[in-house]
Amino acid sequence: MQPSNNYQRLRVVFTFYMLIGLISLNGQNTFQLTGSITDEYNHPLVGAAILLQGEDKGTATDRKGNFTFNILTEGNHELVISFLGYKTQKQTITLNKNKHITIQLISGEKELDEITVTENAVNTRKAESSMNVEVIDKNFVNSNLSGSLMQTLNRLPGISSMDIGAGQSKPVIRGLGFSRVAVAENSIKHEAQEWGADHGLEIDQFTVEQIEVIKGPASLMYGANAIGGVIDLKEISTPAKNSTGGSLLLNMHTNNNLLGVSAKFHKRFDKFYFKTHFTYTDYSDYRVPTDSISYMSYYFRLKNNQLRNTAGMERNGSITLGYLNNNFASHLTFSDNFSKSGFFANAHGLEIRNSTIDYDRSDRDIDLPSQQVNHFKILSNTIWMIKDYKLKTDLGFQNNYRQEFAEAISHGYMPTPPDSLERLYNKNTWTANVKLELPVHNIHHWTAGINSEFQNNKIDGWGFIIPAFRSYSGGAFVYDNIHFSEKWIANAGVRYDLGGINTDAYYDWYNTRQDDGSEIEVQRATQLHRTFGNFSWGIGATRKTRDLILKINLGKSFRMPTAKELASNGINYHMYRYEKGDTALKAEESYQLDVGLTLKKKNWNIELSPFVNYFPNYIYLNPTSEYYEAQQIYYYNQSKVFRTGGEIAFNYDITRDINFSADAEYIYSLQLSGEKKGYTLPFSPPLTSNVEIKYSPQSKGIFKNPTLGINLKLVTAQNNIVPPEKKTAGYSLLGFNAGTNLKIGKQTTQLNMQLTNVLNTRYYDHTSFYRLIEVPGQGRNFIVTLQIPFGN
Amino acid sequence: MKKFLFTAIPILLLILTYGCDNTIKDEEVPVIDMTLDDVFPQYCDTVYRGESFTFKFRFTDNVELGSYSIEMHNNFDHHTHSTSIVECELDPIKTADNPLLFLDEYSIPEGLQEYTATATIDIPYGVDTGDYHFMVRVTDASGWQTYEGISVKIEDR
Repeated sequence: MQPSNNYQRLRVVFTFYMLIGLISLNGQNTFQLTGSITDEYNHPLVGAAILLQGEDKGTATDRKGNFTFNILTEGNHELVISFLGYKTQKQTITLNKNKHITIQLISGEKELDEITVTENAVNTRKAESSMNVEVIDKNFVNSNLSGSLMQTLNRLPGISSMDIGAGQSKPVIRGLGFSRVAVAENSIKHEAQEWGADHGLEIDQFTVEQIEVIKGPASLMYGANAIGGVIDLKEISTPAKNSTGGSLLLNMHTNNNLLGVSAKFHKRFDKFYFKTHFTYTDYSDYRVPTDSISYMSYYFRLKNNQLRNTAGMERNGSITLGYLNNNFASHLTFSDNFSKSGFFANAHGLEIRNSTIDYDRSDRDIDLPSQQVNHFKILSNTIWMIKDYKLKTDLGFQNNYRQEFAEAISHGYMPTPPDSLERLYNKNTWTANVKLELPVHNIHHWTAGINSEFQNNKIDGWGFIIPAFRSYSGGAFVYDNIHFSEKWIANAGVRYDLGGINTDAYYDWYNTRQDDGSEIEVQRATQLHRTFGNFSWGIGATRKTRDLILKINLGKSFRMPTAKELASNGINYHMYRYEKGDTALKAEESYQLDVGLTLKKKNWNIELSPFVNYFPNYIYLNPTSEYYEAQQIYYYNQSKVFRTGGEIAFNYDITRDINFSADAEYIYSLQLSGEKKGYTLPFSPPLTSNVEIKYSPQSKGIFKNPTLGINLKLVTAQNNIVPPEKKTAGYSLLGFNAGTNLKIGKQTTQLNMQLTNVLNTRYYDHTSFYRLIEVPGQGRNFIVTLQIPFGN
Repeated sequence: MKKFLFTAIPILLLILTYGCDNTIKDEEVPVIDMTLDDVFPQYCDTVYRGESFTFKFRFTDNVELGSYSIEMHNNFDHHTHSTSIVECELDPIKTADNPLLFLDEYSIPEGLQEYTATATIDIPYGVDTGDYHFMVRVTDASGWQTYEGISVKIEDR
């Protein structure tokens, strides 16, 4: 193009804008409108959204519940005020001078479904935290629904899952998983057997109301284990006064013939309310895009492309009782989550087995090997408002009862066991947290709190991996949010934790022949008592302007070594290796620098979130070149680890109806010391990208907010591996999705459909539990979810 | 400033990734060569009770071998495929009475890329005859492992 043309075009555009500017300024007075938004009890609402109808202007309330519009023209303006969990209000204001208004919002659960409402509150939460936070709601879950919560969430950049078949998965945040990610439900940490590669997360994805994911060390608020990040599930909505209602959700997957039903019901009187829910899911063996699997020189034929014995079921329920008045809100939740699922029959872990069990007689039954877990919880969350002080207490009891069954078979010196109960873990956890938020004073907003937890873990079964143990931890923290100005927010906090663990001695239940010819019950674990004390801290700042958010955060987190890392001493017959703990391990520490950049323009935005992370003593299970009882020795040791990476997300409204989005995540890990110096860390997710085009036409009639999308997941090869991993080739997966709200009578039924792995591509997921035995990922799957609300 | 950042950051990243990647990592598993003529036992071989036999395997690795282990356990329940493409003929399923169980670990001298492993195993008179698995596992110095599962029989001569 000619330069003169460019210049001319620029001049035309410039003149055009000048004209518009002149017209709009011509003869008009402008005023300032300020206001405060409160709840029913006059407490300020933070992050409420205020939109000026038809003017393309909007803002959100700050920490004190205040908002400001600086330049508004004289005359009428229609305000739309919305906030998660409250009824949206419209109000017309006539401006002829500067004005201050106060608006009270009334709570009402129905508004939870309004996507726009959540988005604004979420944006405020994301913008005000200097950490890297993702907030999602149940709409995200419904439209991305997969076989388990983490498989649903792995659509988010920086979040991945370690899948154990189609119905179980473990959380991974930026490449860190197992005991390095804390999962919390209403601020109370979920405590199960996170150390096991085949132990999924015992959470019902249909109970999700809102999930906050913190990518990065968050020990400051959540204590130990939050070293890699936090997934905090918030089930905190309060039904509207004198309301009765609920919903029925139906879910179907064609790949593993899954049928699921989830029903919710709630009723609120004036101050009392209750909520209840029940979910039942049943699925068959899942299908993979291959008719045979060859691993080493083993070769298995699959019947109907189905992985034998991967069927399962889940049965969950909960009851919540709540009470709230002007300055007190409390709820008590009882929940129970039960699941039973089979393991792929031809190989349990790395062990290849023939069995006399006729697995192919049915694709829905669960034979051996299998696992069965029951997780029971009582959670109590209470908020007291005393003048401007806010006191929060969280109390919890949980029992995790896990049984793993396998055929009774002799291994090494172990004779044939008496029954099929290979492992049993029975863990009770008691939690008590107290948090006090001080009134906002000048620019400071102080919060202080204490957390405490006690665990009692018992074991049984013939396969020993971890000893019985009791552990306790207590921590105290204080942090300050400093609002220098509307643009600048800083925060700083410090925390001290003290914890301890007592493990029991363990002797084999059978004799092992010694070199001198004698036979003894070998002692696998000795009685051990360790205590750990640690400081955590975090400091960060956020700069927020109209279209740009900049964040920087530096933090230190830690975790105590687990019983497995300290005291394991036996052969893991799933993985065919001898695992040895180290009783002298130090607490693991992590330092991380996070940067965040969000640029929002009229029809596009971009989000960039790189990080640098350093572990001076990462606890790593190192495969050695030595043997013990003919099995390879793996032992726990600590090495220096450097990690870096991040996420990028881009979103562009091509037209009013068509949206394009693309995101990518990348992790690089390197062991800087120890025997595996120069190698990466195990289970490192490869460079992954998601691209999606979404068509959301305007519509009238019974189809409300219809959407139609096409998405492509691009995964590069993972060639950066550490023993005993295998390099994994790259792949791409095509998907379609469609959704609509159906307005029938007063109620809005939500219908979502997904077609995943459209081309039935044969691919290997580097972080899947079955990867090592060459089992490909799930084949084509059609998923339908229908949610029908009822009530007044 | 911007220019500086835009040049400095990629250069830093380059140095960083180069500094990280210039250590040559061993990514190859060791190899058990089953094709050599004098390898013993071979798939479907027979060894005799009351006698001893000498196993012999050849291991190779691209960098350095680690150590190896030998395990011999019964396959009376036909529990596993061997790693062989060849299917051996198995006796009927039976319960073990006094099966042979042999587990032992062996070291390989340091710094070797090739090693011939050989040792003698006694089979006592009293053990059960029938189908057995002879497992040979070998590691390299980096911790990579490979193994062979060989179906053998213990019989009376």
